[in-house]
Amino acid sequence: MNLLLRISFLLMFFSAASAQEKFTLSGVVKDASNGEDLIGATIYINDLKTGTQTNVYGFYSLTVTAGTYDVIYRYIGFEDMKKRVKLVENQVVNIELKEAGNLLQEVIVSSKREDENVRSIEMSVNKVEMKTIRKMPAFLGEVDVIRSIQFLPGVSSVGEGASGFNVRGGGIDQNLVLLDEAPVYNSSHLFGFFSVFNPDAVKDVKLIKGGIPAQYGGRVSSILDVRMKEGNSKKGEFTGGIGTIFSRFAYEAPIVKDKGSFIVALRRSYIDVLAKPFIKNPALKDSQFYFYDFTAKANYEINDKNTVYLSGYFGRDVFGADFGFNWGNATTSFRWNHIFNEKLFLNTTVFYSNYDYSLDSDTQDTDDQDSFEWKSNIINYSIKPDFNYYVNAKNTLNFGGQVIYYRFNPGQAVGITGGERREFGLDDKYAVELAAYVGNEQKISDKISLQYGIRYSEYRYLGKGNAIILDANASTPGERQIVTDIKQFSQGEIIQKYGNWEPRFAANFGLTKSTSLKLSYNRLAQYVHLLSNTTASSPLDVWTPSSNNIKPQISNQVALGVFKNFSDNLFETSVEVYYKTLENQIDYVRNADLLLNPLAEADLLFGEGRAYGAEFYVKKAKGKVNGWVSYTLARTERLIEGLNQNEWFPSRIDRTHNLSIVTIFDTEKKWSFSANFSLASGTPASFPTNKFIWQGAALPHNYFDTRNDYRIPASHRLDLAATRKNKHALFGRGSSEWVFSVYNAYNRRNPYSVYTRQNPDNPMMTEAVRYAVFGSVLPAVTYNFKF
Amino acid sequence: MRTTYKYSLTALLFLATLTSCEDVIDLETRDGVEQLVVDAWLTNDAPQQVVKLTISQPYFDNSPPSVALGATVIVFSQDSTAYQFLDKKGNGEYIYESPEGESLIRNVGESYALYVNYEGEEYVSLAQLNPVPKIDSIAYEAFTSPINLNDSLPSSGFIAQFYATDFLGQGNAYWIRYRKNGKLKNKPNNLILSYDGGFTPGADTDGLQFILPIRQSINEFGGRLYQDKDSLEVEIYSLSLEAYFFLFQVVQESSNGGIFAVPSANIPTNIFNRNSASPKTAIGWFGVSSVSKLSTMIDKAKARPEQ
Repeated sequence: MNLLLRISFLLMFFSAASAQEKFTLSGVVKDASNGEDLIGATIYINDLKTGTQTNVYGFYSLTVTAGTYDVIYRYIGFEDMKKRVKLVENQVVNIELKEAGNLLQEVIVSSKREDENVRSIEMSVNKVEMKTIRKMPAFLGEVDVIRSIQFLPGVSSVGEGASGFNVRGGGIDQNLVLLDEAPVYNSSHLFGFFSVFNPDAVKDVKLIKGGIPAQYGGRVSSILDVRMKEGNSKKGEFTGGIGTIFSRFAYEAPIVKDKGSFIVALRRSYIDVLAKPFIKNPALKDSQFYFYDFTAKANYEINDKNTVYLSGYFGRDVFGADFGFNWGNATTSFRWNHIFNEKLFLNTTVFYSNYDYSLDSDTQDTDDQDSFEWKSNIINYSIKPDFNYYVNAKNTLNFGGQVIYYRFNPGQAVGITGGERREFGLDDKYAVELAAYVGNEQKISDKISLQYGIRYSEYRYLGKGNAIILDANASTPGERQIVTDIKQFSQGEIIQKYGNWEPRFAANFGLTKSTSLKLSYNRLAQYVHLLSNTTASSPLDVWTPSSNNIKPQISNQVALGVFKNFSDNLFETSVEVYYKTLENQIDYVRNADLLLNPLAEADLLFGEGRAYGAEFYVKKAKGKVNGWVSYTLARTERLIEGLNQNEWFPSRIDRTHNLSIVTIFDTEKKWSFSANFSLASGTPASFPTNKFIWQGAALPHNYFDTRNDYRIPASHRLDLAATRKNKHALFGRGSSEWVFSVYNAYNRRNPYSVYTRQNPDNPMMTEAVRYAVFGSVLPAVTYNFKF
Repeated sequence: MRTTYKYSLTALLFLATLTSCEDVIDLETRDGVEQLVVDAWLTNDAPQQVVKLTISQPYFDNSPPSVALGATVIVFSQDSTAYQFLDKKGNGEYIYESPEGESLIRNVGESYALYVNYEGEEYVSLAQLNPVPKIDSIAYEAFTSPINLNDSLPSSGFIAQFYATDFLGQGNAYWIRYRKNGKLKNKPNNLILSYDGGFTPGADTDGLQFILPIRQSINEFGGRLYQDKDSLEVEIYSLSLEAYFFLFQVVQESSNGGIFAVPSANIPTNIFNRNSASPKTAIGWFGVSSVSKLSTMIDKAKARPEQ
């Protein structure tokens, strides 16, 4: 690995040494209308056929030979800006781009190729514009980031309404969901029906499925990088909406014009408020049923070199009456951007993230004889410096590190029965994760570019805590393991340590002007795991650290893709194939007892996984009618000792075919329309071969003791939406729109699961049941405003 | 006491907001191999004890099961006394009736062995008889349902609970059964199981009074409330740990649908072929339980007032 590092440095300095007199053009690209940083805007010098992109903070740096150039600044949906720059010294050029507005639909703004997808080193990366997400038909009219990305190639879910998403055959806990660099541990409201991201506060969404650069780590399948808006730094602005489920309200305004701004955004479900007058029964008057989230962010540009950002997210779901059940995430991140000089950019993030839930059988504390309380959480604190060093026009070096301190409370309970009080559950667990990385993006020639890097991660499972010693040899594979000893460790003592080298590599070979071949490899390590044995994850599922028994999950993935654009970049197409191996995958014994069980590790089974597939993607990015078609052919399997006769079996998230069609039709007038269609193979299931009568009831038995050798029927669904834009919102100001949407337009009962059971009237009889989460057409109306 | 009810109602309210639905469908599955099924749950509370032997059948074959005839069925107590069970009616029900008027299952703490010889194969099983706590009392309180879920049912009545205390020491497991007006309420998807007086091994409820949800589990949630003059009989069966996990899996596999289903797995068996090399295997369970019982008649005059 040291060798790789040395080579990369050598390569870099070699190209640096050979340079003539060079100067650096750097700066920040922003949206002219509200001062938001533009992420991934391109800066291109035609004469030199060279360019760069802005980073996530809108910063760019490009070092070229002295001269006078026409520099083109471009961002999708914005008017291009051409700026003549006489580069005889290092120069800072800050740019504000104007939104293209209606021009976009009619005229192709630039004659230059918009072939970023072909030229960039990125592969297995999907970006969906928030604008597009807003136009897609939404479930019950609620615009949803997580639901929208499920229309992308390689992304699926175990069923409608399930929490989270699966990327290239990985579990939902294998996605690192970042909100302004802080991880979000449960991305769902209401058990998975809605995601926690308020669309009014989200600026940019990027999903990285493969070729994951060295600065990312900690999860083995994907990175979902969600960036919040900075807030309008030009003028105050209200946005909001009233939907079927949520009412939304956001306010953004400058703190000091063009220097700093903030945004606050609040969403709350209001079905309980509407229902209140109709609840006559006093016993139900105090019942609670709501969920909300509050997102806030502020930024301030101290001077040309320093900008600070503070973002926070607080969301919670609350159900109950006397009985209470609530869960939620809270994240806070503070970031400091420092521009050392025109070539060196630093962002330091300090974050806090917390996911917790609690159950209380007696919220009013009226019963001192019988009650039950249960709390669980995962808390982490982290510091993460990331440097971008724009060495020269051909090399951009990224390096940095991260320290994460974890504190897990896997579950602590207090039970009172018959007046006697007992405390039980698990003690807190502690861990530290450290990582350092270096990566370089290198343009070898006009045709070939490379990205390579290495990350080293180290993990320490720390005391105070217990190590559970299991005797694998004395245990039957597939059954609960025998606990032979429990070793106690004092505070700060290392219970277990792991370290992993994680090499990353990506290459882009330009074949023709509009075609490229891309290749990538990545290895990733994951030290925290979500213990969940249910089809869909529930909010009660517990995150658990790697320990002496639970080894870190490791993935290796290779991907190969061909990217080609047609008709002057009107159509962007790509075909990618990937193969991924997964080590130390967790499964569960039957009867696994994962909650409040200090010995839960004895109920875990370990094995390996593999996932492979092909993804086809055609996107029409421009024009009155735009959208995309994505098709994924995939397989994901597990091999777990003690399950399925020790043979490979399809994972419960496996879906062979997955087709998505997203169409948006923008008329020039008031109306625009959109449609989503999705078709996916059923998930695997196991069914009994035989039944036997026991105590007057028919019980199932699978003679072959196999797992997941059946498929439930395929799912397909059409969603429609129509948006009517109004000139004004309330009081003749601003603008507004009505969104009419229909989910499941042709009323298909898509099977979530198929299972067998005794006939409810005669338990000697057996039957199969198809369970559908949505059994009807779900129409919705939403009113959005902005002023 | 209202708590559990409210919890159920909140959950129902929540579910009603969704539009989920279930349809019975046809499903083609492959057939397995027929196996001998042993259904033997012997108790200490009756002189007559039964071991039922049947043959397993394809899962969706809803005809009555074939019975296993001509088997030799013997239960041994720990002192090697043999009790032969006989199928006098030829219907697969092998019966032993104790002449002393007391069950052959009577020595708490001791083990019992089952021996079955069927079609030349010898099957054996072992089970331990654990003690059972006595039911101290049954109480009931007046209750009016805040939401009437089913118009054909009265919205007011009584909810009952029984009082019993777990034995000191980890790992005592129980199976709670109740009869309402003489009818046994014991659906396999809704068996009431208790571990140390709580739900599962994780919660440390050892030696305590049975927890409230278990005490109240003798009500039909979402069903008919107890009415004046209803009779109620509660039974606690003692379980070995193996039997607890067996029954746990019976419940699991009988109600394993919906969003939070777990991967299906076979219900374990404790019936073993003495010849482990034989391709013939059996399924089912041999269990022995001590039973404690208490019955009452709902009398509105004795009911606790509504909270």
